[in-house]
Amino acid sequence: MSLSIDRLSVLYQENSHAIQALEEISLELNSGKCLSLIGESGSGKTTLALSCLGLLPKNALIEGKISLDGRQIDYSDETSINQMRWDRMSIVFQNGAANLNPVHRIIDQVAEPLIYRKNLGRAEAIVIAAQTMSEFGLNHDECNRFPQQLSGGQIQRALLAMALIMDPEVLILDEPTSGLDAVTKTIVANVIRTARSKNKSILLITHDLEFAVHNSDTIAMLYLGQIMEKLPSGDLFNSPLHPYTMALVRSYPAMNTARDLGGIRGDAFYRTMHQHGRKKGDAYSHIHIQSPDYEHESGHAPPTGCIFQNRCTQAVDSCRTEPVALETIGDHQVRCIRHGIVSLLSLKKVEKKYGNVVALRPTDLTIKAGEVFSLVGETGSGKTTLAMIAAGVLKPENGTRVFDGQDMDKWIRSDYKSLARQTGVVFQNPAESISHRFTVFDAVAEPLKIHGLYHNEGESHKKVKEVLSHVHLSTDKSFLGRYPHELNMGALQRVSIARALVLNPSLLIADEPTSSLDPSVQAKVLKLLLDLQTELGLSMLFVTHDIGLARKISDRIGVMLQGQLVEIGPASLIIDRPTHPYTQLLIDSACGLSPAFSHPGPDVVDNHGCPFSARCSRVKDICKHKNPPLLERDQRLAACHFPLILE
Amino acid sequence: MRIRLGKELFEDRWFTAGFVLAVFFAALTLFGPLLAPYDPWNMSFEPISAPTVEHLLGINDGGQDIFSELLYAIRNTVVFGMISGFVALGLGVFIGLTAGWFGGLVDIILMRLADVLLAIPAIMILILTAALFRPKPVVLALILAGFMWPTISKTIRAQTLSIREGLHIRAAKQMGGSDWHVIHRHLMPELFPLYLIGFAAKCRMAMFMEASLAFLGLFDPSRKSIGMMISYAMKYYYLDIWWNWLLPPIACLSLLIMTVTFLAISLEKVLDPRLKNTLKERAI
Repeated sequence: MSLSIDRLSVLYQENSHAIQALEEISLELNSGKCLSLIGESGSGKTTLALSCLGLLPKNALIEGKISLDGRQIDYSDETSINQMRWDRMSIVFQNGAANLNPVHRIIDQVAEPLIYRKNLGRAEAIVIAAQTMSEFGLNHDECNRFPQQLSGGQIQRALLAMALIMDPEVLILDEPTSGLDAVTKTIVANVIRTARSKNKSILLITHDLEFAVHNSDTIAMLYLGQIMEKLPSGDLFNSPLHPYTMALVRSYPAMNTARDLGGIRGDAFYRTMHQHGRKKGDAYSHIHIQSPDYEHESGHAPPTGCIFQNRCTQAVDSCRTEPVALETIGDHQVRCIRHGIVSLLSLKKVEKKYGNVVALRPTDLTIKAGEVFSLVGETGSGKTTLAMIAAGVLKPENGTRVFDGQDMDKWIRSDYKSLARQTGVVFQNPAESISHRFTVFDAVAEPLKIHGLYHNEGESHKKVKEVLSHVHLSTDKSFLGRYPHELNMGALQRVSIARALVLNPSLLIADEPTSSLDPSVQAKVLKLLLDLQTELGLSMLFVTHDIGLARKISDRIGVMLQGQLVEIGPASLIIDRPTHPYTQLLIDSACGLSPAFSHPGPDVVDNHGCPFSARCSRVKDICKHKNPPLLERDQRLAACHFPLILE
Repeated sequence: MRIRLGKELFEDRWFTAGFVLAVFFAALTLFGPLLAPYDPWNMSFEPISAPTVEHLLGINDGGQDIFSELLYAIRNTVVFGMISGFVALGLGVFIGLTAGWFGGLVDIILMRLADVLLAIPAIMILILTAALFRPKPVVLALILAGFMWPTISKTIRAQTLSIREGLHIRAAKQMGGSDWHVIHRHLMPELFPLYLIGFAAKCRMAMFMEASLAFLGLFDPSRKSIGMMISYAMKYYYLDIWWNWLLPPIACLSLLIMTVTFLAISLEKVLDPRLKNTLKERAI
């Protein structure tokens, strides 16, 4: 039993313009599988559900076809559609109680399809209804109440009972969990599980990412009527491919999310298509994206290119103009001309020595566009060295560096300035990283001067004031003329962040930016960095010794020890269940626990052994002689012979 | 910032004192010949006479007006000191920065040259040159400058080495700043106090040296000079002329040196925003 949707487009016509609700959606609902549709409000989820049942309003223009079991459904034939609804395909509508008739008892409403479709007698129908409802945990009393006498959870159960009472093959659940508490959600989850085991096809529309991950097989991400990504549900949290998916995941408060919630910059309400102006010419009929910050005129961007590009963290010029289609990458389908989230920076086997001292052993590091990556470790573990190699300030002895698809070493040799424009660096000590002879204005305008963008006083002032307001600093004249020693450390660090941002870099490298700040100022600066990251769509490499701090801001964490990365993975996983004993030690120490590992002194180890072997309590012979390679374990990379994995 | 600077400078007593003296000496230097009541080479007056209203500081042994002579002498000393000081500063900063910033072989060669020059006593060379070749005073000033730059360049180099490792320099380089940008926007302003100290020290030294050479009679005897005036006055120390003939040139020389010192101290204080504050705190 399967429902297939083929190139479905829906336009809502309103007087002079039309709203594009769905555009060429193709989905396959197979029996025994659950497909989740996820997207912001206005992305067309409900329209899709309604179009399957032929319930769209009269002003909807529908193109494409929907077939059930290989037979195209003819939505013009009202009788057969009516027969199909409830019988073969049913829906649980959004906002529970609004869909029930307040003057009828709930049980009558649940029994209604049986009476009208199966032509059962009322008494018989009520018995079946009561039985079904009791399966959903509604007792006799509750069944006989009126809708307004029930709680939200009970109504949801009643609606589920109603949808399933005819035992349809296709079940569409539109936001079945919104407004439900976590415990009541499990009932919905149970319904889905049972339905899947009975080989029904389920379309689950939800905002609730975690619910979708646990209850569906495939997830489709919908944005303004287009599918941005279709992916196996298990990949949603840890390996999304589309920037939109990543941003939505970052906005969702999953139970094990360590990081503070992010968001997606900008706003989009819906896409409209309308006509005005001269009859001939481009301006006559066009599509544009309606959002609060668009004036009507500026919304007239030609509708070619990606519709997400203005909010994307990795948009390039061609995103604006080139057509983009869904392409298959592995078991994902992604609508992105850059083939999903790109690696902004990738270091391969970079290595750095100072004389005989090995500061950094051959290390690989990848920073994806739009993510916050934290390097965590003790002092002297090579964090800063790695970060400075990433910034292009230090030159590694070996290894390759690729920034935005180009060889960084070549780039540095030929035109360092244009690379410098892409990376902003915030140094550890703001008091020293800003010349004490510079005023705030001088300091923030310095990159503009270096890059020859300081054309005239007025323009530069405008730019400087703009970045200063980004970092929540005063923009008045007296503040611009202040000297560093007249500011406190927090303000100063924000000045240096402003300086790093003034050239609109795509990567921000922050080396212990808050270590010289007190906790309240630190909180402010971190919140600011995160907001900036969301607002400007930056990628960030954050260096810190404080794993507690790293967990609040990072998407991924890399743990460093003695010049090498010992564990890299999603922040939530690393904090939740570290696999490397050293990560465990860091977390324990951060919690104030005295570490469960033997001696705390410096690691005196054989060059070939594991750098943690001197301190590790799980140490075995092999650890002392063989440095474990970074291997994939439990969805992250860890370098340990005997990782802490829960069996 | 420029508007505030003037006000701040005059709040500093060192600066006020130095400024008054500087204006005074600058006026004497620029307008000395106009202010002089007589031609200092005119020998038609009564030799060795005490001051009168016509001759404010009396007449020397050659029958010349001492006041007029002094005005011409100050002018020569100041010009000599300035030329020598500026040239030494220019050389010192250029060489020190070059050695400190680029390092390596350049550094080694320049610093060994400086060591060699430091080992040679400048006064000996000057005396020999003056005695043997009788060059113009400006040539002697330049030769002196050629011997004075090493100390300046050594301090500039040392400071450059420490500043170039500074975080703000690293930041500027990371931003893509060229060598020229870093040197001219970061290093040179940062080194500013050293210029003042260096210039003050070398200018003082040059003025003193000029006086000494003149005292030894190594300049053209017709060239008016503070040193020569002192040396002539010394011959008549047994007469009661010390206060009108010997003291004025000595006082002028001392005041000149003080002027330079005062100005250097106060400018350094005010132009370095960080130093300014610590000094203020200390004053409180």
